[in-house]
Amino acid sequence: MKGSTLLLVDDEEVFTSNMSKLLTSRGYRVTAVNSGGNAIRALQKSNYDVVVLDLKMPGMDGITTLKEIQKLGLFTETLILTGHGSIDTALDAMRLGAYDYLTKPCEIDELVEKIEGAWKQKDREEQRDMQKKIQKVVESPSAAFSLFGKGKGKKK
Amino acid sequence: MAKDKGDNPYSPLYRKFIWTTLVCSLAPLLLVGWGIHIHYAGFTRDKMLSAFHERVDHHRQVIDLFLEERRSRLQLVAATHSLDALQNQKNLASVLEALNRGDGSYADLGVIDEQGRHLAYVGPHDLMGKNYSQAFWFRPVMERGIFISDMFLGFRKVPHFIIAVSRSEAGKKWILRATINTEAFRSLVEQVKFGKTGEIFLLNEEGLYQTTPRFGGHIMEKAPFSVDVPFGTTRIREWKSGKGGNGLGMDHQILAEEWLEEPRWMLVVRQDYAETFQAVNHANWAILIFLHISALTLLLASFVTTRYMVNLIKKRDGEADRLNRQLQQAGKLASVGELSAGVAHEINNPLAIILTERQILLDSVGQTPSLDGEFKVQLHESLCQIDAQVHRCKRLTQNLLRFSRRTKSVVESVSINAFLEEVVDLTEREAGSNGIRFQTEMEENLPPILSDPSQLQQVFLNLITNAIDAHEGKPYGSIRIGTRSQDNAGVEVVIADTGCGIRPDHLDKIFDPFFTTKPVGKGTGLGLSICYAIVRRLGGTIAVESEPGSETIFTLFFPLKPPPDLEGRLREQEKQTGGIPDERINLTAGGR
Repeated sequence: MKGSTLLLVDDEEVFTSNMSKLLTSRGYRVTAVNSGGNAIRALQKSNYDVVVLDLKMPGMDGITTLKEIQKLGLFTETLILTGHGSIDTALDAMRLGAYDYLTKPCEIDELVEKIEGAWKQKDREEQRDMQKKIQKVVESPSAAFSLFGKGKGKKK
Repeated sequence: MAKDKGDNPYSPLYRKFIWTTLVCSLAPLLLVGWGIHIHYAGFTRDKMLSAFHERVDHHRQVIDLFLEERRSRLQLVAATHSLDALQNQKNLASVLEALNRGDGSYADLGVIDEQGRHLAYVGPHDLMGKNYSQAFWFRPVMERGIFISDMFLGFRKVPHFIIAVSRSEAGKKWILRATINTEAFRSLVEQVKFGKTGEIFLLNEEGLYQTTPRFGGHIMEKAPFSVDVPFGTTRIREWKSGKGGNGLGMDHQILAEEWLEEPRWMLVVRQDYAETFQAVNHANWAILIFLHISALTLLLASFVTTRYMVNLIKKRDGEADRLNRQLQQAGKLASVGELSAGVAHEINNPLAIILTERQILLDSVGQTPSLDGEFKVQLHESLCQIDAQVHRCKRLTQNLLRFSRRTKSVVESVSINAFLEEVVDLTEREAGSNGIRFQTEMEENLPPILSDPSQLQQVFLNLITNAIDAHEGKPYGSIRIGTRSQDNAGVEVVIADTGCGIRPDHLDKIFDPFFTTKPVGKGTGLGLSICYAIVRRLGGTIAVESEPGSETIFTLFFPLKPPPDLEGRLREQEKQTGGIPDERINLTAGGR
């Protein structure tokens, strides 16, 4: 979906810079960070629809970063993009809640396709969450306040 | 053949085993055998000699008793009869008859006065009137009162011996003389049998036979051996004759000698040494035969057990070698596996950057219509080439990664026959275009195996693709695919091709990572290594035989059930993937 916000997390600056250019030219709003810590800070500051996360990074690695992201309880989907190619690690990531994974090098079209899939998933979850909240309001009108409270996160 | 034997590395071990077992078994056997022989031979010899001694002594007593009795009877007659009474021929005949009652051991009886004149005589010879004053026995009997002579011829000219006793009566001495029945006496001595070779005879102090020996020699002849001075006990000795002994070829005899009390005759019993000690010899033979049979048995047992042991060692060595090779192969694969994950990451990241750069260029070219047409074409071609080469590198890294990590395994029941047919279908088009036919020899009712179909597919595809590639330069060929059940333990799959074959020096390297004989860029040298790793992971084995220029045969074995560790891992994975829809993982994993 054009205009979706993406957070690119990779320690390869040339890669993030190139990928930012390519994705921006395809209509996405891209923010690139080069570490897990920076990714968490960026997510705390702004909303992102999809996070494209490298697994092998110095400092906080991809799996730890993913766990931290999950702790934030945001409506954001994570797509694993790994050069390590370890399917086991990628599967671990999926068990932790990542949407899907891709191995480097990958075609831009393939990545865009996965991003779209992730965005749709995130959208579906948001809508499902909204429906639940509306259902609650119908059942108990006092809960209507929660619709206007901290509405950007998933209900844990 | 001799060369083969010489080259056999187990020959020294075989010889060493044989020697050791033979020495360890034969030495105690011989020692025990020798000990038994010595002890038993000594014991038996003593027993034999003791029996021999007893018989000789007994016989001596019999002869002594005979002579003693004859002498006593004569002394009794002399003491109880007067000269006058005995001078009467009739009375003397009555006395002889009385003396001979029962055994007839007196041949004649005569009465002689102190001048040596024969006063009366009863017997078969005409000796009346003969004067014995010069006879060799006359003086001794007159002096000692009793005399038993040696054998002599006398007036009658036949060998005989006499017993004479003297008595004084009214100041006159007279002699009662009896001739002992020589035949009766000789039969008493000579007819005693000592086996087949034993003989018994008497010798006087001059060494003259007093009876006729059984073998050779005659009464009153000189015996061929010396006679010692009288001694008290029975003497037993060995006697060796250099001239065939007694004429029976017995040159080694055992000799027993014992002196009679009166007269001084020596009783001699001699027997062939071998016959005397026949029992000892039999025992020796029995021991010898027993030793030989035991030695032969040990020899046979030694050969059989050594052969068995050496074969066992050979088999164990073979297994150890095979395990060692597998371990080396596994070691190589493990080190490549460890490296590959790191290398893949290091290569994949630059490749990703190259791809993004290419995409940027591609995007830029699309957005710049003013570019020169020829340059644009060249740029496009170069970008396509970059893409192709990046993907080539990606394939390489993916192959490398197949060592280090396990793609998601799904264990299910696989019908190998149906599965191979599917793989054949997949590759038939490519094979057909190279002039290669498939021949399948599938065993019917093959049991299904529990295995990972995707990994099996990769193994079979790799092997069949290799088989097709092996026909390069050949206008046609065939790939034979066979299956058969292996004793309910698993399934054997044979993939044989009629391609270029594998050189013997390449055979032990073909499962090594990066070993390839294909031209640069055509093969990564990882296909067979991956096959090897997968087959081992699935609990199977893979082996290769090849005839350079004509054929290569890959023989694979898959167990009916995968190894426990794979099953365990799968169960664990299943538990862990509980939250993820399986088809999503399969699609993703399969899509790579």
